[in-house]
Amino acid sequence: MSKQYRHIGQPYDRKDAQEKVTGQAMYVHDMELPGMLHAKCLHSPHAHAEIISIDTSAAEALPGVKAVVTGKDAPYRVGLYMVDKNLIASDRVRYQGEIVAAVAAEDEVTAERAVSLIKVEYKPLPIIHDVDEALEAKILVHENLHTYEYMEGVFFPQKGTNIASWNRTLKGDVKKGFEEADFIIENELSVPAVAHVPMETHVTIAQADPYSKKVKIWSSAQSPFAVRQLLAKSLGIDKSDVHVIVPYIGGGFGGKAGIHLEPFVTVLSRAANGRPVKLKATREEEFNLLPTRAGMRSRFKTGVKKDGTITAMEIYHDWDSGAYADYGVNVGKTAVYSGAGPYIVPNVELHSRTIYTNKVFSTAYRGFGHLETHWAVERHMDYIAQQLNIDPYELRMKNLLRAGATTISGELIYESTGNPIDCLNAVVKEIGWTGRKTDEERALEMKTGKVRGKGFAMLQKAPAMPSYTSTAAIMQMNEDGHVKVMIGAVDMGQGANTIMAQIAAEELGLPIESVEVVWDVDTNKHPYDWNTVASKYTFMGGNAVKKAAKNMIQQMKEVAAQVLRCHPDELAHGDGYIYHVHHTARRIPFKKLAMGYMYENGNGIGGPVIAHGVYMASGLTNPDPQTGQGRPGLVWTFGAHAVDLEVDIYTGEVHVLKIASAFDIGQVINKKLVDGQVLGGVIQGLGSAMIEGYKFSPDAKLLNPSFTDNKIPTAKDLPDEIVPIYIENPQNDGPYGARGIGEHPMISVPSAIGNALYDALGINFYKLPLSPENISLAIKNHKKA
Amino acid sequence: MLSKFNYLKPKSLDEALAYIKENPGTKLLAGGTDLMIVLRRNMEIVDHVLDIKDIPETKRFEYKAGEGLFIGASVTVNEISECDVVAEKYAAVKEAADSLASYQLRNRATLVGNLCNASPGADLASPLLVFDAVVHIAGPNGIREVALENFFTGVKRTVLVPGEIVIGVMLPDVKGDTSVFLKQARIKGHDLGIAGVSIRRTGEGKLCVGMTAVAPTPIRLRNLEESLQSKPFSAETAEWLNEEIKNHIKPISDIRSSAEYRLHVSGVLAQKGLMQLIAMGGK
Repeated sequence: MSKQYRHIGQPYDRKDAQEKVTGQAMYVHDMELPGMLHAKCLHSPHAHAEIISIDTSAAEALPGVKAVVTGKDAPYRVGLYMVDKNLIASDRVRYQGEIVAAVAAEDEVTAERAVSLIKVEYKPLPIIHDVDEALEAKILVHENLHTYEYMEGVFFPQKGTNIASWNRTLKGDVKKGFEEADFIIENELSVPAVAHVPMETHVTIAQADPYSKKVKIWSSAQSPFAVRQLLAKSLGIDKSDVHVIVPYIGGGFGGKAGIHLEPFVTVLSRAANGRPVKLKATREEEFNLLPTRAGMRSRFKTGVKKDGTITAMEIYHDWDSGAYADYGVNVGKTAVYSGAGPYIVPNVELHSRTIYTNKVFSTAYRGFGHLETHWAVERHMDYIAQQLNIDPYELRMKNLLRAGATTISGELIYESTGNPIDCLNAVVKEIGWTGRKTDEERALEMKTGKVRGKGFAMLQKAPAMPSYTSTAAIMQMNEDGHVKVMIGAVDMGQGANTIMAQIAAEELGLPIESVEVVWDVDTNKHPYDWNTVASKYTFMGGNAVKKAAKNMIQQMKEVAAQVLRCHPDELAHGDGYIYHVHHTARRIPFKKLAMGYMYENGNGIGGPVIAHGVYMASGLTNPDPQTGQGRPGLVWTFGAHAVDLEVDIYTGEVHVLKIASAFDIGQVINKKLVDGQVLGGVIQGLGSAMIEGYKFSPDAKLLNPSFTDNKIPTAKDLPDEIVPIYIENPQNDGPYGARGIGEHPMISVPSAIGNALYDALGINFYKLPLSPENISLAIKNHKKA
Repeated sequence: MLSKFNYLKPKSLDEALAYIKENPGTKLLAGGTDLMIVLRRNMEIVDHVLDIKDIPETKRFEYKAGEGLFIGASVTVNEISECDVVAEKYAAVKEAADSLASYQLRNRATLVGNLCNASPGADLASPLLVFDAVVHIAGPNGIREVALENFFTGVKRTVLVPGEIVIGVMLPDVKGDTSVFLKQARIKGHDLGIAGVSIRRTGEGKLCVGMTAVAPTPIRLRNLEESLQSKPFSAETAEWLNEEIKNHIKPISDIRSSAEYRLHVSGVLAQKGLMQLIAMGGK
C-alpha cells in the first residue's frame, strides 16, 4: 500500500498529554457544584440473604443528612442486555457488597456516619458458590428470571435455572467429525474473576430537577449515550430528559461501559429535592461493589487427525457472571463466533452459558471474553500438539484461518480480513522458536535451578456490539481556518481524540495543530456514539470523521466554485486553500470560506462551514438463535504473542525476558499510541496471567477487596522486553485500511505464558493465575508423581 | 472514617507520656502507614492521636563505635536504607528496608512502627532479631529495655502496656558480620511477604536465623541456630537447612499463601540465604 500520507502513520504526542501531566485536566473527582451533597453506601455483608427490615431512622435524624434511600425508594431495574439488576437491593441481596441503602449528606464524614447508623436485619439464604452448584439449579439466584426483560433473539435465559443466557454454535456434523478423527483430546481450563483497576475509581454527580423529569449527570463513564439510554429506560423517563457530561476519565477497561452508579445517584438527588449528589467509589467498592471480569470454566473436546487437522470440536464455556448478567450475557455471546480461536473447525458444537452465582457480578473487561476463551483454546491447542507429538507451530499453521475459510459462525474470511499466519510467523521469528525443548535439555537446565521456556499463542477479536451500531462526527471551522471536531466517543486514555485529529487533518490537508477534537463529551451537544468499547472507534469513528472532512471540503468547494467561476470538481484543496487543479494560483484560503465568503463589494455567499459524517456498521447480522451462524464481526483483528521466560524452579517465580506481540492492524495511524496500547495491554495481560484473581471465603465474601491482597503488576514485575510488531494487510473498508487494537494486546498473554511454562517445565497448567505459589507447588508435585 | 479524634504533637517525651496517661487508648502516630488503614477502615474508633515525630528522643539516629546503632522511633525506613553504617554493618536491615512496601511509603513508614504494629510478617523484624535488637520503651517509671525477641507476644500484640512509648531500638555494635535478608512475595514489586528470612554470620562465625510470616510473631530460630553450630559452613549445610528449617516454623494458610508453599519457600529462602553468605566468604 502506498504511504503518501501526511499525518496517517505519524507518531504524534497525544493531544491531552500536556494537560494531564501538568494536572490541568479536570475529572469528575475534581468537580464541586454549588449545594452539592456527598453520598455513601451501605453494603450487604451477606452473599445471599433476605432483607427482613431496614431501620434508617437514626441515620435520618443525624444533622447534615439530606436523604436516605433504600430499595423501596428505587423500584427500578437496570441492564443493557438483561434487565436483571435492582438499583438498590430490595427484599433480597445477591452478593456481598451489594448496595442496600445510601445516604446523601452535607459532607462525606456525615454520610459515612449516617450509613453506620442504618440497621438492617437479614435472613441468610443458601449460597451458590460456583457454576457447578448453579447448574444444579437447586437454589435460584433469580427466581423470576423468566419475567425479566432482555434482548430477545440474541440472548436465551433459561426459566427455572441459573442460566442467564445459553448461546449455541452448531456448524457441520460434529458426530461425523469425531468419527473422522484419529484422536479425541479433552481439556478443562479455568480463569478466576479479575478486577479492572482503573486509576480513577467510578464517580458520578447527578442533579435531578425537582420541577421536571430532567436529570443532569457528570460521570466517569465510557459511554455517555449508553448512560442516557439506560438511565432513561431504568427510571421510565425520556432519553431527551437525560443530559450526560463526561469530562476526562482516568481509565475504563470496560468497567465503565454501560451504566453503573448513575441511576442510583439520580435517585439520591431526587430524594434530596434535586440537590446535586456526588458518589465516589472507594477502592474497596471498585473491587467489591462494582462489577468485575467473570470467572470462567471451559471444557474442550477436539477431534484431530494424525497430521494435526482438526475435524471437530465440542466446547462448553461456562461463565460465572456472579449475581447479575446485565452486561455479562453479551460477554458470553462472543464465544459463539470466537470461542474456538482463529481456526478452521469444520464441525463444531459450542455452548456458552452465562451463569448466576452469589458473587460480585461481571461486566465488560478489555478483551470482552476473549482473554478467557483464548486462555482455554490456546492452552488446549498446545496440549493437542503435545499429544500428537508435533510442533505447536505446525499444528497452528495447519488449522489457522485464512482467506477463503469460514469461521465457526460461518463468516467468510477475505484477504482484506487480515492474516493470523503473518502474525504467528512474526512472533516465532522474534523469539527464535526452533521447536520444543527435549527432556534431556530440560533435565540439564533443571540442575541450575532456572529453566528457560518459549511459547506462543494466537488471538482474535471482532467488536461485540449490536449489528446496527452507529456513530457520527460533527466538524466546525473557525474564522481562523482551524477545525473543531466533535465525536460521541470518550477518550479514556486510548487516544481516540488524537487519532481522530490525525484523520481529520489528513483529509482536510491541515497541520495537526489546526485540528482539535473537543473534550467533555456532552450528550446535549456532541453527536451520537453507541458505546466507547470493543476496539471499534478507530474503524467506525475514523470512517465517520473521514466522511465529515470530505463533506467539509465539498461545502467549501461549492462556494469556492462560484467565486472562481468553475465546477467544484475542478477544485482541489491543500495547505488551507481551495484551488483550481490547473490554475493553482486561483485559490481561496479556508479562513475566507469558514463563515461564508464575502466579495469585495460586500456580497456574501455560503455560510458557516459545519460538516457531519456518519458511519453505521454494515452487513452484520444477528447470529441464528439455534446455530449461531451469521455475520457478527465488523472487523477482525488477528494477532499472536510469543514469550521467552525463565522459571526459578525453587521459588516458582517467572522472569519474562521477552514478549513479542504481532497484530494485523491494517494500517498504523499513530505508532506511539499503538505502542501504548500494546505495552499497556501486554502488562495487563501479565497481571491476569501471573498475579490477579478474586478469592472468596466459604460464605462467598470477597477476601481481597483492596490493594493489600488484590495485586496488579508493578514496575518491578514487567518483562525485560516487549516487542510490538505491526502487520499491515489493509482492511478495505477501514480508514486507510486500519483495524482496531485497543483490547487485543491483553488477549492470549496468559496462554502464551502457560505454553512457555510447559516448554520450560513439561508441566501443563490449567488454571490462572500462574503465581509463584501455583508454579512452585506444581513442580513439587510433578517431581513426586 | 468514623473516628473523631484530638491530635497532639508534643515537643517533649514528658508531655507525651503525661498525655497518654491522661487519655487511655491514645494512638501513637509516627509514619501512620498502619494507623491510617485502621482509621480509614474503621477497624477501631479512636479518640486521641499523639504524633511522636517532634519528640527529640525519637529522632535520634546515631552510631557509636563499641555501643551500636540507635534508631529512633521517628526515623523513616528510607533514612535507614540510605544510611552507610546500616549498609556496611547491618546489611540485612538495609535489604529488608528496601523490600518494605513501596519507595513512597518508605518515605513515611518508620522501622519502629513496623515493629510496634507487630504483624507476624513485619519485614524489618527478622533482621533486627538476628542482630539482637533491644527495644527502648519509655513509661511513667522511666526507660525500660526489652530484647526484641521478647517484645512480640502474639499477632499484633507486644509487651507494651498502656502509658508506654517506644522511643527507639538499639542494635549492638558488630564486627566482621555478614548478613542477608530474603523475602518471597506474590509479586516482585510492593507486596507483603509470604515468608521472610534473615541470616547473620557473626565475626566469630556463629549463625543467627530470624523469620517472619511463618508463626504468630516474627521469630528467632534459636534451636535451629544451635544445630547449625555443629555444622560446617558449606553448601551441604545449606541444603540441610532447606529441610531442617521446616521443623522450626508453623506457618498457616491465608489469603496470601498456603501453608504448604510457605513451608516450601522458607526452606528455599534459607538455603539461598546461606549460600549467599558463603559466597560472601564469611569475612
